[in-house]
Amino acid sequence: MTGYAFVLPATIVIGVFGLFPIGYAIYMSVHRWRIRRGAFVGFDQFERILGDGFGFALLLAGLLSIALGHWLWTSALAGRGARWLLVGKVGAALTLVASGVAMALGYGLMRQTGDARFLDGLQRTFLYGAISVPVQIGLALVLAALLFQPLRGRALYRMLFFLPYVTPAVAGAAVFRAIFSPREERLANTVVGAFGIEPQRWLFEHRPVGQLVFGDFAARFGIELTGILAGPSLALLVIIMFGIWTYVGYNAVIFLAGLGAIPKDLYEAAEIDGATGVQRFWAITVPLLAPVTFYLTVLGFIGTFQAFTHLYVMRESAVRGAVDTASLVIFDTFYALNDFGLAAAQSLVLFAVILAITLLQQRLFGRRALRA
Amino acid sequence: MLPIRRSIALASVVLLAGFALAQRDYEDVDPTGQTVVFWHQHGGVREAGLQEIVAAFNADNPYDITVNAEYQGSYPEIFQKMLLLVGTPDAPNLVVAYQDQAAAYAFADGVIDIRTFLDSERWGFDADDFDDFFPGFIASDVNPVLGGQLLGFPPNRSVEVMYHNLDWIAELGFDGPATTPEAFEEQACAAAEHGFSGSVTGGRSLGYEMTLDASRFASWTFAFGGDVFDVETNRYTFASDAAIAAMTFLQDLFERGCADIVTERFGDQTNFGLGTTLFTVGSSSALPFYRDAVEAGANFDWSVGAVPHTTQEPVANVYGASVSITAGHAPEAELATWLFVRYFTSTEAQAAWARASNYFPVRASVAADLGDYFAAEPAYETAFGLLPFGVSEPVAPGYAFVRDLVAAEMGAIVEGADVVTSLSRLTDEANRILLDQLADLD
Repeated sequence: MTGYAFVLPATIVIGVFGLFPIGYAIYMSVHRWRIRRGAFVGFDQFERILGDGFGFALLLAGLLSIALGHWLWTSALAGRGARWLLVGKVGAALTLVASGVAMALGYGLMRQTGDARFLDGLQRTFLYGAISVPVQIGLALVLAALLFQPLRGRALYRMLFFLPYVTPAVAGAAVFRAIFSPREERLANTVVGAFGIEPQRWLFEHRPVGQLVFGDFAARFGIELTGILAGPSLALLVIIMFGIWTYVGYNAVIFLAGLGAIPKDLYEAAEIDGATGVQRFWAITVPLLAPVTFYLTVLGFIGTFQAFTHLYVMRESAVRGAVDTASLVIFDTFYALNDFGLAAAQSLVLFAVILAITLLQQRLFGRRALRA
Repeated sequence: MLPIRRSIALASVVLLAGFALAQRDYEDVDPTGQTVVFWHQHGGVREAGLQEIVAAFNADNPYDITVNAEYQGSYPEIFQKMLLLVGTPDAPNLVVAYQDQAAAYAFADGVIDIRTFLDSERWGFDADDFDDFFPGFIASDVNPVLGGQLLGFPPNRSVEVMYHNLDWIAELGFDGPATTPEAFEEQACAAAEHGFSGSVTGGRSLGYEMTLDASRFASWTFAFGGDVFDVETNRYTFASDAAIAAMTFLQDLFERGCADIVTERFGDQTNFGLGTTLFTVGSSSALPFYRDAVEAGANFDWSVGAVPHTTQEPVANVYGASVSITAGHAPEAELATWLFVRYFTSTEAQAAWARASNYFPVRASVAADLGDYFAAEPAYETAFGLLPFGVSEPVAPGYAFVRDLVAAEMGAIVEGADVVTSLSRLTDEANRILLDQLADLD
């Protein structure tokens, strides 16, 4: 009983503030709920979001095919003979192509029959995470490695790089809005102007970056860059830059803690063996920081999928929803459409996606990180 | 003719609904000693003015009713708080709400149909008193898609006006500000080519700076003789001939480089004040801010007028949040709340409120008390003169979301998207949202 008594406070807190809201969201999602509770509708809200089951099934099949492709590839490299290597590689390539086709078809069908606004938001969220997290972590790692050196004023630099993280998101976003204003005289346009580039519309630009940069070139070959291949809109890219600016310092501080835990004799031994600074970084620092990198990656993806405040502050009507990630769509469904049931179902879908990505990361990188 | 037609249609809805809906009887209710909590968004000078009105009511009302007026943040913040409290006893007794917000509260039976009080012999207005209200103002709170209920009562209104730089117009060789779209285009494009000599910055000059906003869309559509909502069919009409003509006109203005969108918060006010933008269209409640911007900037002669129109008479987009009486309280408290609303909209309180807030009063008679104010603020008087030509935007539930869609399509149109395709898509989507909302009323 003593043990139960010790865990009771935590159980109550987690139950009330963690599990109950999730349970209540599930309850709301299976009802029509526009401000007040309506009829029980079962999984209708999820069907409204995901469309008819076929598209979703096709998308899932595509995702599973990636896993199959990954298994074939790793099996082929596992040294079971030249024949198996060839079969495995060809099989993996074909599976990956098939998975791409299945996902594209499945997503297309889902958009046609489901909630295109939310699904597009989810796609933007993926783009946001896929660009933001690796850049954040890469920059933070480099920064941490530099700050780990015996530099003069190191503490000051650490504080400066950490400042964006403690700056209120609304204030930081307001400054970014001013910097990335479409006005010619604003900072961002002044900088690009120095390189002979025309003033850009930045936060008011809905067109994808790929189209802006390579659009004319691609058009010469009759190719129109659209969809996920064209990348995020310029407006979303600015917001991604804001996210990177905010979290790089925080990630660097966590990396610094990880760097402090790496035994110095490893570096000394490598130095004696003639390893250069870059070689030491790749052969010692990066592998031994894998648990930290894994931790930051998981947190980074969860954070980007839940990102809201700066997106809300920086979004403009002129971009026609081009920066509306899943969390913004959910907010609009709740507060502008007052469709609480649908908003709850959208939240649960987002929750499932975050959970799936976290589990996937755990599966793909977690064990390797723990081994390190 | 448009405002009259719309007012008649709305008045008919009110009358018909009056027979259809049951009303609570307050005739024998005693409001003595009640406390009323009023959530509002007014800050600064406006809040001070409101508190004076509240203090006067608390001191003088014969029922010993106490009103506590509480600042609760911006309109969206109040709406977000209300969504969690609506229909419960924790909700305030009185809350500021736009018409579509009040419609959202009605989904949870969270607001009282104010006709209940208006129809009361004991607590309502007498006929002469009621006729003093601008008819379109009260009609704008009638919700045709919710059975014609009167979900709010207007303590103030604003009107969309065109701000213009008179010195620059004269410098360009025109006799006066544009009153038709053709003249507007001519003047705006001339301004884009020939900057104002008194401009403070000497930067790029523009004829017109426009915010992407559903109220601008409505104003221009009204000015072209159309409407954005059909109260007879209860459907959005964003793709009407007038709306198409208005948006085509604006698109042309943008394509010629005579206009641009506002890219910074209150950027149109700032640029107007600096003398780099000839025209802007916005709320009359911003008059003091424009005055400050001009005084701090190029300090020129300026004024306001109706949005240039193709109609014989000007058509002005009249809007503003009303106050809604929330349900879920004791009848005594509900009645006490109404008595405060009645006081707030009295001639005496309205004159004080107009001075404090720079909003327009909702009674015609108040103008008589505002002579000195008109003399000090001639632009305010000019805008006040547009009130008889007022038309209001839709009050349908979900309009907040539809407004975002409108703004987005406006953005597409001024960048060159096909007007008819954009507006047809907008209409379909807006009506789909409306139908989805209405499905939950059954």
